[in-house]
Amino acid sequence: MATVYIGIDVGSISTKGVVLDNNFNVITYEYLRTRGRPVEAVLNLIRIFKERIGNNVKFGGVGTTGSGRRLASVIVGADIVKNEIIAHAVAASHFYPNCQTVIEIGGQDSKIIILRNGIPVDFAMNTVCAAGTGSFLDHQAQRLGIPIEEFGKLALKAKTKVNIAGRCTVFAESDMIHKAQLGFPIESIIAGLCDAIVRNYLNVVAKGKEIKPLILFQGGVAANVGVREAFKRELKEEIIVPEYFLVMGAIGAAILAKEETNGYESKFYGFEISNYNFETKAIECDGCANRCEIIHTYRNEELIDIYGDRCGKWSGG
Amino acid sequence: MKAAFPYIGYHTFALKDFLTALGAEVCLPPPLTKRTLELGAKYSPEMVCLPFKITLGNFIEALEKGADTLFMAAGARKCRFGYYHYLQERILKELGYQFRFYPVSQYSPYEFIFEKMPQIFAVSPTQVLKALYLMIKKSELCENFKNCLRVIRAIDYQRSLEFEKEYLKKIENAKRIKEINILNKELKRIRKNWLKENRIKLKVGLVGEIYFLLEDFANQELEKELGKLGVLVLSKRSLYSRLKHLLKIEKEFLKIYYYAKKYLAVSPGGEAIHTIGETIDFIKKGVDGIIHIFPFTCMPENIVLHSLEKISEDYNIPILSLSFDEHTSKTGILTRVEAFLELLKRRKRNGNSIYWN
Repeated sequence: MATVYIGIDVGSISTKGVVLDNNFNVITYEYLRTRGRPVEAVLNLIRIFKERIGNNVKFGGVGTTGSGRRLASVIVGADIVKNEIIAHAVAASHFYPNCQTVIEIGGQDSKIIILRNGIPVDFAMNTVCAAGTGSFLDHQAQRLGIPIEEFGKLALKAKTKVNIAGRCTVFAESDMIHKAQLGFPIESIIAGLCDAIVRNYLNVVAKGKEIKPLILFQGGVAANVGVREAFKRELKEEIIVPEYFLVMGAIGAAILAKEETNGYESKFYGFEISNYNFETKAIECDGCANRCEIIHTYRNEELIDIYGDRCGKWSGG
Repeated sequence: MKAAFPYIGYHTFALKDFLTALGAEVCLPPPLTKRTLELGAKYSPEMVCLPFKITLGNFIEALEKGADTLFMAAGARKCRFGYYHYLQERILKELGYQFRFYPVSQYSPYEFIFEKMPQIFAVSPTQVLKALYLMIKKSELCENFKNCLRVIRAIDYQRSLEFEKEYLKKIENAKRIKEINILNKELKRIRKNWLKENRIKLKVGLVGEIYFLLEDFANQELEKELGKLGVLVLSKRSLYSRLKHLLKIEKEFLKIYYYAKKYLAVSPGGEAIHTIGETIDFIKKGVDGIIHIFPFTCMPENIVLHSLEKISEDYNIPILSLSFDEHTSKTGILTRVEAFLELLKRRKRNGNSIYWN
C-alpha cells in the first residue's frame, strides 16, 4: 500500500490541495474557488481526491496552510498547521534547491521570500491593502468583460504602453477609466496595468530586498503572462514559473507534514470526512465588554472545536 | 476630585499612586475592551493614530463611571500626540460631558513641580516631589515586574499566568517606598532564578512607539503571543525610562543617541531616536531578531522604517515591522510573527553567517 501525503492551502480566493507520494512527486492536485465557504471547499477537495486515488492508500501525514489553515486543520485532522510563508519557501527550495528569491502573488496578499542555501532568511508581505494582487486583476478583468485567463495574453499584443498609477487600486481604476475614455486600445491599458502591478510589488513589498537569481514566481497571478513578462523586463533576470505554481503552498504543507509525522501515524480522519456534516456556529460571549465572537465547529452535531476567545474561558487557554 | 487618565499598561499603577499621593480620588476607567476602542474610533478623526482613539475611548468610559477631572500627557515637541489634548477636550465637551481637563506638558519638569501640580492640587512643591519620587519608584517596580514576567512567559506560559495574577495584586497594594523596595528585590531574584535554567530558545528585541510597547491592548497582546511561542522579549521602554528621560537622568540615552546618530542625524519627533538606538543596542547584545511595532499613520515611526532597512542590511539581522490600526486582524499579525520566528529558528539552527552572501 502506497503512502501519500496531503497538503491543503485554504486562501481567500482559492482552495488548493495536493497529494504527494513518498518521494514528494505530485500524484494529483486540485484548485477550487473558496467562494467564502472554506469548509465546503475543503470537503470538495477531499471528495475529489477520494475519487481519484481511492481508499487503498496509507496516509502518511496532512498539512494545512493559508489564511484558513486553522479551520481546515480542525476539519481534516491535520498533523501540522503552518503559515503560508514557510510553506511556499519549503516547496520552492524542494523543486529548485538553488532558488534565492520567491515572488508570490495570490488573491489577497503578495509576498517576497529571500532564501540562501535553501533556507528562508528574510520575507516581506503586503501590509494594509490588497493593491496589485489577484483579486484586483480579477475585478478589472470582469469590469472590462475579458476572461481572466485571456487577460495576460492580451497585454502581450499591446503596441504602445500606457502609464497607470499602481500604488492604490482606487487610483489605478480611475486612471484606467480615464485612459480608456481618451481612446487608448484595451491591450495597451492591460499592458499598463501589468506594469503597474509589478512596479507596485517591487516598490512596496520587495522594497529594500536583494533580489538574486534564481527567481521563482508562484501563486495564482503567475498564470498571467503579461505580469510575468513585466517582471522579466523590470528585473532583467529570468523568471521561472514552476510547473505546480498554483499549488506550491499546498505542496509545502504536505512536505512539512511528512517532516512532522516522521513515520509515525497521521492524525488525518480519512476520506470519510467528505460524507460528514460540518457546521460552524458563532456566538457572542457576554462575559465582558470585549464581546468576543466564539466559533464552535460541529461534526455531525458533535462539538469538535472552540476558537476565538481572548481570555481562554471557552477554549481553555 | 475624581481624577482619571488613560491606561498605560502596568504603569497605570504608578500614575494612580502619584495622583492619590497628591490627594486626588482616582477613578480608573473600566479595563480596555473592544467597546473602548469602538467608542474612541466613533468620535475620532479618521486618519488619527490608534493611541488617540483608545485614549479617547478611555476618557469616555471614565466619564461614564463618574470621573470629573481628566489628565492627559501633552507637549508639542513630541509628535502630533502633543496636540491631542486640545482635540480630545473639544470632542468630549461637544459630547456634552462636564469635566475639568488638565493637559500635562512633558517637557518642563520645573513648571510641573513648582507651578502646575501645586496649583491643581493645592499642595506644596515638596509634596509634589515626594509623590513624584513614589511614582518613579513604582514605575521601576512595574518595569521589573514586566521584565520578570517576560522571562517566565518564555519558559513556562501557564506558570506566568499565575505569576501575573499574584504579583499584580501585590504591586497594586504596595504604597510605601519600603514595600516597593522589598518587592523590587524579590522580583529581581525571581527573574535571576528563572534565567539560571537557561531554557531560552529565542530572544527578540521589541522596539517602536511607546504607547504600543506599554499597552498590551493596543498591540493585540503581541508579547503574550510571543511568550506562548517560547520567545524572550527584550524591551527597554517603560514609564520608568520615560520619566528618567524627561528629568534628564536617563544614563542610557547617551549611548542610544550615539548609536542612532549614524542613521538619523536629526530627530523627526516621537521616539524615532530611541527606536533606532535601541534596535542597534539589542543587536549588539545578541538578540536573534527585532520586532518593530507602531500605529498606522505614525509619521516618526514611518521615517524609522527606512533606517531599519539599512540597519537590517548592515548588521545582517531580520527586522519585522508591524503597523496597527483598529481593524488589524490578529490572524494577519500572527501569520507574520510565526513566519518571522520560524525564520529566526532556521537561521539559528544553520549558524548565522554561512549562507548570507
